[in-house]
Amino acid sequence: MSELPNLSSTEKIKIASNGLRGTLKESLLDNYTGAVREDDTSLTKFHGMYQQDDRDRREERSAKKLEWLYAFMLRLRLPGGLLTPQQWLTLHHVAGEHTTGVIKITTRQTIQLHGILKSHIKPTMQSFNTAGLDSIATCGDVNRNVCCTSNPAESPVYDEVFQYAAKISEMAKPKTRAWYEIWLDEEKLSEKTEEDPLYKDRYLPRKLKVGIAIPPNNDVDILINDVVLIAIIENDKLLGFNIGAGGGLGSTHGNPNTYPRLASVMGFVENDEQKILKAVYEFITVQRDFGNRSDRKQARLKYTIDKMGIDKYREEVEKRCGFKLEPARPFEFTQRQDRYGWVQDYKGNWHYTVFVENGRVLDDEKIKLKEGLYKIAELGKCNFHFTTNQNLILADIQNEDRPSVEALLNQYGIIEHTENAGALRKNAIACVALNTCGLALAEAQRYLPTLISKIEPLLQKHNMENDDIVLRMTGCPNGCGRSPNAEIGFVGTAYGKYNLHIGGDRLGLRLNTKFKDSLDEGQILATLDELFGVYQQEKKENESFGDFSYRKWIL
Amino acid sequence: MLSEEKLQKIKDFTFTLSREELIWLNGYIAGQAGALQGSVSAGTIPPPINKKITLVYGTETGNAKKLATQLAGIAKKKGVTVKLAGLDQYRFSDLLKEEYFFVVISTQGEGEPPILAKKFYDHIHEAHLDLKKMKFGVLALGDSSYAQFCKTGEDTDARLEALGAQRILPLKRCDVDYEEDALHWIDNVVAALQTNVGSVPSIARPAATEEKKPGGKKYYRGSVVSSVNLNDRGSNKETYHIEISTDEEIEYLPGDALGVIPPNCDAAVEQVLQLTGIDPKKEVKTPKVTASVEELLKKHLNILFPLKSTIKQYGTITGHAVPEDSRLSLPDLLKKYPVKDASMFEEVLQILTTQAPRMYSVSSSPISHGLNEIHITVSKDEFYVEDEKRTGVCSEYFSTLPLDTEFEFFIQKQKHFRLPDPDKDIIMIGPGTGIAPFRSFIAERDASGSGGRNWLFFGEQHFVTDFLYQTELQDYLQTGALANLDLAFSRDQKEKIYVQHRMKEKGAELYQWLQNGAYMYISGKREPTSKDVEKTLVEIFKEHGNKTEEEAEKYLHQLAEEGRWEKDVY
Ligand code: SRM
Ligand SMILES: Cc1cc2nc3c(=O)[nH]c(=O)nc-3n(C[C@H](O)[C@H](O)[C@H](O)COP(=O)(O)OP(=O)(O)OC[C@H]3O[C@@H](n4cnc5c(N)ncnc54)[C@H](O)[C@@H]3O)c2cc1C
Ligand SMILES: Cc1cc2nc3c(=O)[nH]c(=O)nc-3n(C[C@H](O)[C@H](O)[C@H](O)COP(=O)(O)O)c2cc1C
Ligand code: SF4
Repeated sequence: MSELPNLSSTEKIKIASNGLRGTLKESLLDNYTGAVREDDTSLTKFHGMYQQDDRDRREERSAKKLEWLYAFMLRLRLPGGLLTPQQWLTLHHVAGEHTTGVIKITTRQTIQLHGILKSHIKPTMQSFNTAGLDSIATCGDVNRNVCCTSNPAESPVYDEVFQYAAKISEMAKPKTRAWYEIWLDEEKLSEKTEEDPLYKDRYLPRKLKVGIAIPPNNDVDILINDVVLIAIIENDKLLGFNIGAGGGLGSTHGNPNTYPRLASVMGFVENDEQKILKAVYEFITVQRDFGNRSDRKQARLKYTIDKMGIDKYREEVEKRCGFKLEPARPFEFTQRQDRYGWVQDYKGNWHYTVFVENGRVLDDEKIKLKEGLYKIAELGKCNFHFTTNQNLILADIQNEDRPSVEALLNQYGIIEHTENAGALRKNAIACVALNTCGLALAEAQRYLPTLISKIEPLLQKHNMENDDIVLRMTGCPNGCGRSPNAEIGFVGTAYGKYNLHIGGDRLGLRLNTKFKDSLDEGQILATLDELFGVYQQEKKENESFGDFSYRKWIL
Repeated sequence: MLSEEKLQKIKDFTFTLSREELIWLNGYIAGQAGALQGSVSAGTIPPPINKKITLVYGTETGNAKKLATQLAGIAKKKGVTVKLAGLDQYRFSDLLKEEYFFVVISTQGEGEPPILAKKFYDHIHEAHLDLKKMKFGVLALGDSSYAQFCKTGEDTDARLEALGAQRILPLKRCDVDYEEDALHWIDNVVAALQTNVGSVPSIARPAATEEKKPGGKKYYRGSVVSSVNLNDRGSNKETYHIEISTDEEIEYLPGDALGVIPPNCDAAVEQVLQLTGIDPKKEVKTPKVTASVEELLKKHLNILFPLKSTIKQYGTITGHAVPEDSRLSLPDLLKKYPVKDASMFEEVLQILTTQAPRMYSVSSSPISHGLNEIHITVSKDEFYVEDEKRTGVCSEYFSTLPLDTEFEFFIQKQKHFRLPDPDKDIIMIGPGTGIAPFRSFIAERDASGSGGRNWLFFGEQHFVTDFLYQTELQDYLQTGALANLDLAFSRDQKEKIYVQHRMKEKGAELYQWLQNGAYMYISGKREPTSKDVEKTLVEIFKEHGNKTEEEAEKYLHQLAEEGRWEKDVY
């Protein structure tokens, strides 16, 4: 690749991959290892899979002269995060047959399954395919799963807005048939690789995320996306979308050139499908052509926009669109958390939001959530709609069907479980981290529940137990659990150690700031106890903890 | 040509000899000459004994064959016409025609005939033959550290006589250091042939070498420096990779096995002591060892899997009606069929056989791991006795052996199971613990930079938990030390897949390798793999060498004859 001197290695792999095929077929045949060939590990991502290994088992396996316990994590493509009950049944069975069994609802409204052995990938993909599901482009340097405000009860124009998630996803889907050839043994039609006007042969410099929000609910944390659409609705009509770009939360410890950034709203596009899709499309192409392809840590759209300047970026987009963006319209967010329990939408259908701690659907001694949901899916009376807070909405239930669903919800203690969860726990998010995430520096989803149990007494002590404080924990600064825009953010630095961030607001419109370095559990509890005390003393009339700590300790 | 004085010495000496002794001496001297590999000049060769003999051998690990071939050579030099045959090849109908019939046969298992000689063994024991014409002699190979020393030889010898054949040489029992005894035996054969009298009393071998430590084995002291269960959590298996280090340099070659006489577990010993109330410290003399009761039970006697014959005797001693074919362990026996008192138990101690050595194919290589270190690969042998789970004595011992504990072991030479010349290709079929000797082979060839290609077939139950030595094998693939690695994990998919299936898939290439002179080996549990593998090989030869069934079988047999199809199965 001499003509492309300073390209990152991933760029070279993409170019040489012949439509994301690489040597994946060969890798599958290497039966002496559970891993795929090195270069192919970059390509599996474009097919919706990460090669991982069970980090808890490394030492022991090595001593046994066994290679690390390699397995794959698979992420479904679910624009807006919706599954039919039949698809949930399939998911349930696939999870049981080929994975750890845990169904993980992610912070981008989709599903991840872990622990899929190389030899189980094809059967897994095939079952999903027959259920009308796929994992195309849910990872890798492409447009990721498109998020959309999840609760249909939010607005009469919900369906209209929701459609855009799927349309954008289709528009920005890679054109290669590689996924079908490799995992479903589809015949390769022609020897030459497919033309892909959007992605060409290099795809994007980095992952790119598109989100759609329906004010007044910011459950999707809209501003953390690379490209953002905010529905502008006036007396129950969708006028169009404010559009913007440049969000992203990841950073790297000790690398000042990396930082979280919230998206900048750059204009408005009227409710004309072609124009809206065109605009989104060109927001992506500008990043494709101007993004950094030599340093992956500078490759996200947020850095491109800071390099070019917002106006320049907008002009470039407008030039490519052939029309100008109108000035952004005013909008207001009033909440970010999910609406737990029953809500009815404008059509009269019912939706029940289930609290799923850290999005992990499984059966344990406390509650048989997985079994209960399976039984509910068997009724075939409700869709399964995921929220970006890692929760589940049993959606679109007709009035006459509600009792049968409710009966099972009660029978399996799911309603009780949802109602008894404390405010802090309900609004908390933790990323996956150990034992599967290769980048984790500390625990997150395996630890946060116990930490919260230790924080709850402090809240009671300061009578804050009903405050909807947004607390989030991630095992590293990549921010998968969106810790950088929480009121209280914990960011792992080493095993058992976390940076404490405060000062983010409740609605996700202001990033938090690092307040303390590498605290262990004892120090965390002591610090919070102190902060809560001061907050109770000095807070203004209904001033959120986030706003108070910003005013008090950050400014 | 002899000096006066030498001649005189001989005259004085021979004068004192009886006729028969003279006859023997004649043969003996000829034998000595023969043993000098025909280095003797023609002039001195005694008149040819124009007699025809048949020399058959029954072998498992090749010793009997080597020996028989060597003996045939010597006999021929003396003008004896020798028909040499393996008992798997020998035509039984010829038995009736045989005039001079000599047998070299080893004992295997718990006093059983070698697999290849089993048909013959059964034939002579079942058929009613009239062997009046036959004059015979038997050389039995064995190992005195086994309870039934040279049993198969003994049975054969007794049975031939029972069938009317005439023993012209007394049965010769050989221990592991059989070479000298064997040469001496062939001298006796020749001597016997020279006399026209039917039989000669065999002449004892020179007294000097007579007393020797039974088994005549060299024991090493070693201690376990590392022991890991190679199987991962959730496996049905436990396979221990055990590294043993010694101060003294160990003399062994890839393909050899390590032997140990395992102590019985304390629990069992305790039980026996309690059930019998005998004084643990009491010194007792048994046929082979004299030691305290405690030590006998712990170290020397087979108390956990007594022979049927032992059980029978137990019944007689204790006066209980113990079912013929039961193989209850001593503790179980004592519970069900108690002894009257301690002294009665002392009688029982007399009938218990000695603990048999257990063999483990060495999985290390002298060149790559050094001479003060040796590795074995032990699979925990679990089985059920009346649906109660038990573990084999020795594998239990090794799987629980604490680091740094010292123990004694010996090297069991496996002369048949050897690496070929460095430039030859080898094909290794080693499912389960069968991988052990091949880890040694590959390491040895890798370290010594052999040019020949190495191809390994390995199989187990599950890829994730049972891939023995996975990372080592991956490295060998990387470096090219392994040309091919074919894997069969039987339980990772609906239909069972075993090594022989992989061999079939690669049939064409495998046949190619053999045509190019490759050497092929199999190791591991005999049942069921080794049989299926041989069936598969025949199919492969038929398909890719377009041969008929017979031709294919012949081809396999020929490979074995050329030492290019060797087995280390157990
Ligand atoms: C599952 C999920 C967290 C969760 O508990 O739900 C997740 C899990 C992982 N993220 Fe993430 N990210 C997830 C949402 C996010 C978010 C939040 C969001 O998008 O709303 C972010 C912050 C927003 C952003 O993109 O900046 C996020 C920023 C990252 C980054 C940092 C990217 C950056 O440019 O700074 C990485 C590391 C990277 O890409 O190099 C990463 C990488 C990863 C990987 C794949 C680790 C890896 O690359 O090997 C994690 C897999 C762990 C595992 O074992 O499952 N993930 N990741 C979320 C799946 C989303 C989805 O369904 O697509
Ligand atoms: C040349 C050679 C090489 C070998 N190489 C290896 C190797 O590399 N790795 C390896 O793991 N093994 C190897 N073996 C096998 C090994 O020698 C032992 O046979 C094996 O470990 C079992 O011995 P043990 O003392 O654990 O079991 P034992 O106590 O000898 O029991 C063996 C079997 O006898 C039966 N049995 C025992 N007690 C009772 C009872 N009370 N009632 C009913 N049945 C009973 C059971 O079927 C049991 O499986 C090799 C054998 C040979 C001959
Ligand atoms: C598993 C095993 C069992 C044996 N059992 C006996 C036995 O019961 N009695 C005996 O005298 N020798 C026994 N031996 C020793 C062999 O007979 C001895 O090694 C002999 O040299 C083998 O000769 P071959 O290579 O011709 O088979 C046994 C050897 C092995 C490996
Ligand atoms: S935040 Fe870090 S630790 Fe957590 S899932 Fe993302 S990459 Fe892994």
